Formats: sequence, C-alpha cells, structure tokens
Amino acid sequence: MVYVRKNQRDLTAAERRKFVGAVLELKRSGRYDDFVRTHVRYYSADGDDDLRVAHMAPSFLPWHRQYLLEFERALRSVDPTVTVPYWDWTRDNTPAASLWGEDFMGGNGRRGDHQVMTGPFAYDRGDWPITVGVTESLFLTRDFGNPANPIDLPTARELSRATAETVYDSAPWDSTSRTGFRNALEGWTRAAGNARWRNHNRVHRWVGGLMLGGASVNDPVFWLHHSFIDLVWSRWQRKNPKAAYLPATPPPPGSAQYRRVVARNEPMPPFEVTPAQVADHHRIYRYA
Amino acid sequence: MSVAQPLSRLLPRRRTVLRSLFALTVTAFTGGALAHVATTRPAGAGPEPGGGFDEMYRGRHIQGRPAPGEGFDVRVDGRPLHLMRRSGGGYLTPVDHYQSYATPLAATRAAVDELGSAQLALGAHHGVRP
Repeated sequence: MVYVRKNQRDLTAAERRKFVGAVLELKRSGRYDDFVRTHVRYYSADGDDDLRVAHMAPSFLPWHRQYLLEFERALRSVDPTVTVPYWDWTRDNTPAASLWGEDFMGGNGRRGDHQVMTGPFAYDRGDWPITVGVTESLFLTRDFGNPANPIDLPTARELSRATAETVYDSAPWDSTSRTGFRNALEGWTRAAGNARWRNHNRVHRWVGGLMLGGASVNDPVFWLHHSFIDLVWSRWQRKNPKAAYLPATPPPPGSAQYRRVVARNEPMPPFEVTPAQVADHHRIYRYA
Repeated sequence: MSVAQPLSRLLPRRRTVLRSLFALTVTAFTGGALAHVATTRPAGAGPEPGGGFDEMYRGRHIQGRPAPGEGFDVRVDGRPLHLMRRSGGGYLTPVDHYQSYATPLAATRAAVDELGSAQLALGAHHGVRP
C-alpha cells in the first residue's frame, strides 16, 4: 500500500501528535540514537581518501532517500499511520511557522547556551537527552538565523537555480562539482560570506545549534528537512526523465575518485541498495 | 596554562603522538621553560609556520599542529577536535559540518564560535560521543 508524505503545515493536530509520539518512542527504545550514529559514521569529507556515500558525493540524494525510508519504517513499526512530513522552507521560512509549535518541533534555543526550552524535545521534559553528540551538552540546541551573522532560509528562487540543472551530477563528483543538480541542491560552493550557503547546507546553518554539526540528526527537524530535499529530487526526476544518476559506472583505477564514490549500480553502505534501486519510490510512498 | 595540563587530559592513544610532537618543540629550544613560552602564545598571536597555532580565542585555549601524514591535530581546551579536509583545500569540523574554512585555524575558531560554553566530548569517534 503506497503511503503519503504530507507537507507539515497541512498536518492535523492528531497527525502532529502521532508523529511526535512515534519519534519519542524510537528515542526511548534506543533506536533513534542508532540513526544518529549511522549519519555520523558515514559523513566523510572529500579531502580525505575514504569512500563517501552520504555527503559531498553523487549518492547524497539516494543515500538519504534510503536512510529516510529506514527511519520511516521504524516509525511505522511503532505507529503504522505515521509518515515523515516535509518542511518546505521556501514557504515556512520564519520562526513563527507552526512547524516550531509547542506541540511539534518546539521553538528556537534561548540566548546564551541556545538550549531549546519549548516543545516535546526540550531537555526539561525528560524525553530527549542528547546521548550521541559532539559536545558533552545533554540538551538540544538551535540558533535560528544565526544572529551573530544573520542569514535567511533559501528562497524559491535560490532553489530554482538547482532544479534548473538538467544533468544529475558532474565530475569530480564532490563538493567542487560546478554543474549538476546534486551539488546545487546539496549546496557546496566556493563563494565567501553568506553567499557560500546554498539550499540544503543553508537550512542546516539557519536552524543552527545541533543541526549545524555532524550529529544533526539529534534535531528531529532533520527528517522534515530531508523529506523536502527528497521531494525536490523526486519532482526533478519527473521533469528530467532521461537524466539518470551519475556516474553510471565507477571511476576507473588511477582516477582521483576511484573507490571514493558510488556508481549507479553499486551498493551504498551501510545499505545494500544501489542508487538505481531507489531511483523510483512511487511504489512505496508519494508526496502530497 | 602549562604544557603538562592539556597533556594530562589527552586520550591514552593520542598521548604518544602528542608527546612526540611537543618533544619536537622542546628540542627546538634550549630548555623546558623556553618550550613553555613557545607553546603558550597570547591571544591573537596568529598562525605558526606550517599552519600550527596556539592561542586563546574567546576564552578557549585552541591549539593546532600538523600531524603525521597529511592530518592535523586540533585541541580546544586540551580536547581533540576532529578536523576534516575538503577537496581543493579547506577544512571542516564536526561542530560546523556544512561549510569549510580556508585554514585549520579558521575552522577551529568557527567551531569555538558555535560551541559557546560547551565542552567537546572526550572519547569521541568521528568527533562524536559514541
């Protein structure tokens, strides 16, 4: 049975409650922190020689598609009616959005230590201790818009610069790829100042706090952000039906990216699926 | 802050590497007291040759040394901060993971900007508490 991922702004109060309840149950059972660990473990940067699957690589999109699917499967084992909603940050682009309500994601961090004080994920509620973290701090943090160097969320126009690309990705298949949909959406640039922040990366910066770090999955809004990234990719695929995942074949021995990126028919660790196998999601879920 | 103080807080597996690095600094001078001066620079002292640094930044003691291979060993108040390299130059840390900086020093200062008063986790893998 195909299920539907909805825009978070369209969820009913009951749907919001059920999503939060399932997330909290995964946290309580320890399964949530396993997802945090997976994301940390598979973040390799492209200046090092490891295989990169999750970031700075062509498989950024299919890797996160599979990652979200596995998280959603875990949520649905708790409550079969729950799906991962998406956050369209070109539209709900202020701290006043219902996304940040007390019954859903909770609000911004407070001044000083940036601790989130409202909503189900506030430390004082007792349900959301940070156990897999970069620092010793045990509480969720956010710093909307980075007041020290103010920045806005990506605009629809900014996003359209990515979706206007007609090729999936390009050599050298990393954070320096100048053309292609993948890096334009992932958001790595050579620019200076706030212009260096694009799309996916810029959203991590705007939320700030833990969302900026390697353990960004500790902020449950991570899933809503990546659900929207996946939606944007899905719509781009429909608009560009002939633009398949690249590279189609592995970079040859002796080339700079040999064994460092995943080709179309190679598995994406820790998952056993290939980019080709997750290219079409319509038999599993669709976006409303 | 003395040289011994941050050393005492290091992870056991890092200790050997760091001792040899500090030993290099020590042999470059005539005595331990001078070595202390060399590794405890005032705030704003800026980068050392080879991209190394040792300074106070926003109340935090930050240190960086080129490590064996092409790596870089960075500490904040004596605690390891994992530094990753970006293709074509540039560095990023697990505190600030979605942008890169031109130098290890800039990446470390940016991490301190984000840390606020928080302490880095010890025993971290990929810079994250396991």
